[in-house]
Amino acid sequence: MDMQTMKVGPEQREVWYYRAGQGEPLLYLHNMLGLQGFEPALARLAESFDVIAPFAPGWGPAKDQLPEFDEGPLDLTLHGCDVLDALGVERAHVVGVSIGAWMAAELAAIEPTRVARLVLVNPLGLWLDDGGGEDPFAQHPGFPSQALFTDPDGRKRHLIEGRDKVDAHVDELLSLRASAKFLWPIPDTGVKRRLPRIKAATLVVTSDGDVVVPACYGPAWRDAIAGARLTTLAGAGHLAELEQPEAFANTVRAFLEDEAIAAVA
Amino acid sequence: MKFHWFNLMPWPYLPDDFTEKHRSVWVDVDSRLFDPVKANRIYNDYLDLLELAEDVGYDGLGINEHHQNAYGLMPSPQLMASTLARRTHKAAILLLGQSLALYDPPTRVAEEMAMIDCISGGRLISGFPVGSSMDDNYACGVNPATLREKYHEAHDLVRRAWSDPDVFAWNGKHYKLRYVNLWPRPIQTPPPIWIPGGGSVETWDFCAEHKYNYSYLSFQGYVRGAQLMEGFWRRMEELGSDFNPYQAAFAQQICVADTDAEAKRLYEKHARYFFSRCLHVYPGYADAPGYRTEPTIRAGLVSQMAGQSSALNQAAALSWEEMIEKGFIVAGSPDSVAEQIEKVATSLKIGHLVCLLHFGDMPNELCQHSTRLFAEKVIPQMRGMWKDYEDHWYPKPMPLEDRAIPRQVTVPDTAAGREMGLKEVG
Repeated sequence: MDMQTMKVGPEQREVWYYRAGQGEPLLYLHNMLGLQGFEPALARLAESFDVIAPFAPGWGPAKDQLPEFDEGPLDLTLHGCDVLDALGVERAHVVGVSIGAWMAAELAAIEPTRVARLVLVNPLGLWLDDGGGEDPFAQHPGFPSQALFTDPDGRKRHLIEGRDKVDAHVDELLSLRASAKFLWPIPDTGVKRRLPRIKAATLVVTSDGDVVVPACYGPAWRDAIAGARLTTLAGAGHLAELEQPEAFANTVRAFLEDEAIAAVA
Repeated sequence: MKFHWFNLMPWPYLPDDFTEKHRSVWVDVDSRLFDPVKANRIYNDYLDLLELAEDVGYDGLGINEHHQNAYGLMPSPQLMASTLARRTHKAAILLLGQSLALYDPPTRVAEEMAMIDCISGGRLISGFPVGSSMDDNYACGVNPATLREKYHEAHDLVRRAWSDPDVFAWNGKHYKLRYVNLWPRPIQTPPPIWIPGGGSVETWDFCAEHKYNYSYLSFQGYVRGAQLMEGFWRRMEELGSDFNPYQAAFAQQICVADTDAEAKRLYEKHARYFFSRCLHVYPGYADAPGYRTEPTIRAGLVSQMAGQSSALNQAAALSWEEMIEKGFIVAGSPDSVAEQIEKVATSLKIGHLVCLLHFGDMPNELCQHSTRLFAEKVIPQMRGMWKDYEDHWYPKPMPLEDRAIPRQVTVPDTAAGREMGLKEVG
């Protein structure tokens, strides 16, 4: 799967993205570490949907765009709309993981008519004083994203293998830098005040092995979004779609295709 | 060549099992290890040492800024500088750090430094470090992704606040002030500016551009330091900057005794306390994502792959002799120390040496001994070094005869007061 580029919005900002599959459009917003290519979970979703997976500004090839995004929710949501506009997509399912789930929730809250169904996997952006959890930004700089995986070899397998070690490590640190820009020092983005605006049918997913977003955050997100459902993935850490691509894709697809959920006008 | 007496002000009561029982000396260090009653003595001892340093001939009195840190008890170096401004009258006040991005508005730093410069009669050296990740990002919560742009904006604002005689509006990205109008203003226009740094190329360029002093602060010693300073001088040359050793400073742990063997006997345990307990920093606090720029990250990863350790506490595992050989510490008789200091000065080509003569849990009397020996027997051997260069990075104070003389202090009538042999005045 080749990466594509396009120019979006009034500034004609460059966007790097993957797009594959047929069906209803599905905008995928990536986790704290960006995209590790067109990931297996995305390939599986592309069997049923028209999957659009852009690098968010600040990550991967878009790393130098970070200084342009100072007003997190507003800037990121406008950018998300620009991406959909550029592709001629009026309305899409939106699936976000980790920091991407926060961006997805903001988009659904601020532009509710553009989001068909919403899936938030291990979402960051809410803070519970008693929630606990590991600080993803206070990790050993030699293996800074280790805590995001349940598998002790997860970092090596998913981020490093098959790549130049220095390049992979630099990418990892720069992706965490971009995440830190929006989530430092406490991942309380203020999205809580906007969650009641979400109209889309919503599924919240937590992983049983996520130490960054512990299980107690699942009910907090579900309860803040009208009618949201909550489910749990087994055997995955914070980056569920990397560690359990099959179960992840199956859970997402089942929810997006569930005919028992009433369509929202 | 100039010599500055510098003290990090460590907490000297960290327990023997500190490194096993606690994960970090910094950020989340257990506050139950701190005792404010003991701190009364500790702070006053440390300030006494700084004052003594002026009496015995050091050129500057160095202080800096750390937060939530058991080896650095100076969250506010201005508080230390203000007492030194009153109680000393000759030496430069080497304020090696106000991390500008920590203060909103940063004009507060400009104000306080101006106050210190006025009180001291123009003896301030103003240090503007970016600050460590532990201090800036973890203890003070500043976003690492925007820290450097914030720092640069704060720097520009402070410089303008010091120099622009008119009220001006500052509409920056991080700071918006409708009315900037500094009262008071510094005597020196501006005070010499030193940039303490750990080796990022951007900082070198910044020093070259503004003609600032670059102060390399590391605990890795001068042997490793020489490699880095070589890069600094090469970069300065590339940027067309004329060589002047006074444009650079280096911090070095130093201890002096009558003989080499005596130095080991007197100081080794205190050096071990420093390198092992004081530098026991949880790696997760060392380098927040975004704290370092991409080129610096890349250079760091390449040197790590070449086998260079970046661990702060790497000296803890060495023998005393290895610590000296690798330059983590300069130690021995006055002549051995002078020989090592000459190596420091010539290999790093620095005109300012920041002498860390107190380290770890060294008691006051012992530190006085080392401080005096260095001043009396080492500094005179080195004074003539770099005599052909003019030092543009040292304060230009008011003439002494024009300066205000602080009122003599009274001493309480207690055993300690009587022992000082000072009479009540006034």
